[in-house]
Amino acid sequence: MGTMEWPLVLFTVLGETAIGIIFVLWWLDRAEVDPIFYKKAALLSGLLLALALIASLFHLGRPEYAYRAVSHLSTSWLSREILCFLFAAVAWLYFYSQVRQPKGKRRLAAGITSTFGLLGIFSSSMIYVLPRVPAWDSVQTPLFFLLTTGLLGGLTCLVLGRKTLKLSQLQELLLIVFTCVLVSILSFAIYLSMLNTAGMEGMSTVQFLLASPLFWLRVVANWLLPLILLVTYFSKQKTINANLVIMLFIACSIGELLGRALFYLSAVGISITALK
Amino acid sequence: MNKQLGFLHNSEKCVGCRGCEMACKNLYQTDISQRWRQVFQIDENAYPLPSRMFISIGCNHCSEPQCMKVCPVGAYTKRDDGIVIHDDNRCIGCRLCVMACPYGRPQFNSVINIVQKCNLCYQRVDKGEKPACVASCVAGALELVQINSSLDAKTGVLKTLPGLPSPSITNPSIRFVGPKQGKQVRRD
Repeated sequence: MGTMEWPLVLFTVLGETAIGIIFVLWWLDRAEVDPIFYKKAALLSGLLLALALIASLFHLGRPEYAYRAVSHLSTSWLSREILCFLFAAVAWLYFYSQVRQPKGKRRLAAGITSTFGLLGIFSSSMIYVLPRVPAWDSVQTPLFFLLTTGLLGGLTCLVLGRKTLKLSQLQELLLIVFTCVLVSILSFAIYLSMLNTAGMEGMSTVQFLLASPLFWLRVVANWLLPLILLVTYFSKQKTINANLVIMLFIACSIGELLGRALFYLSAVGISITALK
Repeated sequence: MNKQLGFLHNSEKCVGCRGCEMACKNLYQTDISQRWRQVFQIDENAYPLPSRMFISIGCNHCSEPQCMKVCPVGAYTKRDDGIVIHDDNRCIGCRLCVMACPYGRPQFNSVINIVQKCNLCYQRVDKGEKPACVASCVAGALELVQINSSLDAKTGVLKTLPGLPSPSITNPSIRFVGPKQGKQVRRD
């Protein structure tokens, strides 16, 4: 069984949220966007990205040599991840400088930053696609990481812009969130059924998940509660309630953090089973 | 790649004395948590013979080492003779190699916060000597050999044994001579 990797949980979830926010800002910027909301969201994304990068250092045995991590780009996804995130951090500085200018090229800058960020997130997920770990060795791993990006990026922008964004923009964001939740539920169901056929290690992961109270808490926070709230909202189509947005954000944030912690905890690797 | 050095382990000869483990620890004075070489006992249910059988596993210096592939700092190198060397000075302790190796051989040393593993005593091999584990084996169960097709073609040489991960993951440079079926005496 894996271990609770809190530095990695924080690094991946915060990093994905930061990149998700920038991507959503790029998406919303097709039409007019409230500048105060835009600036707040841009600043928060930078803060989260910085926190994520700092958190990642706590995973290393020798963080003082972390700079070496970009020296094996030919085969190591971890090297590629770090390089992409460093580029994203530099691009964010350019992005924020453009946000502060009244006629800055913020959409271009957001596009560049989110591209590097998304490449970083993809590389981040590919680190775990290891033949030794059936629970990670599938297309589901990149999908989970990208879904977290869309879900938490969209929800953070919803919370920040709940009073200033137009109704159509808020609805657009809710639709992104709803799609992410639905895809997350469906893909996880497929993931569990695939794992059950992935040998002894895959079945151990399934058994661990189903027996873990954390998993069931995640089911409620990440899937059931958001699904009920969103279906209720879409069926009534009234104006967007601020409480709904905040509840969604809290539930999904807890769910995603639990989900990522379980991702590391439930990893069972193929190993020597002879007696020690 | 010119050649591939590796191990040939004879379970028929191995008595499970763990002399190979001790020789490794004596030479490198490794931390108590580190077992670069480890003797395992084959589960009787997996290989139903009425006798105890052992396998001695160190780093397998695989043909396709996953540890080397995933390492972000290039701490692993594969020499022309196939030995996979881990450079402790380059390691940053990210432990990804620990996750990637199905044999559990790169091991995190929490005292010095880096990963360490067997380097096949390359200093001794370069001087024409045997690795400490091989030299210490009282039964001659562990040998340093060239892994090639002629070895694989020999009768009784196996690529894996029950209880070991599939060799398809990393193509390990270890071969086995499995325990022979003993004489069966029927008492009916």
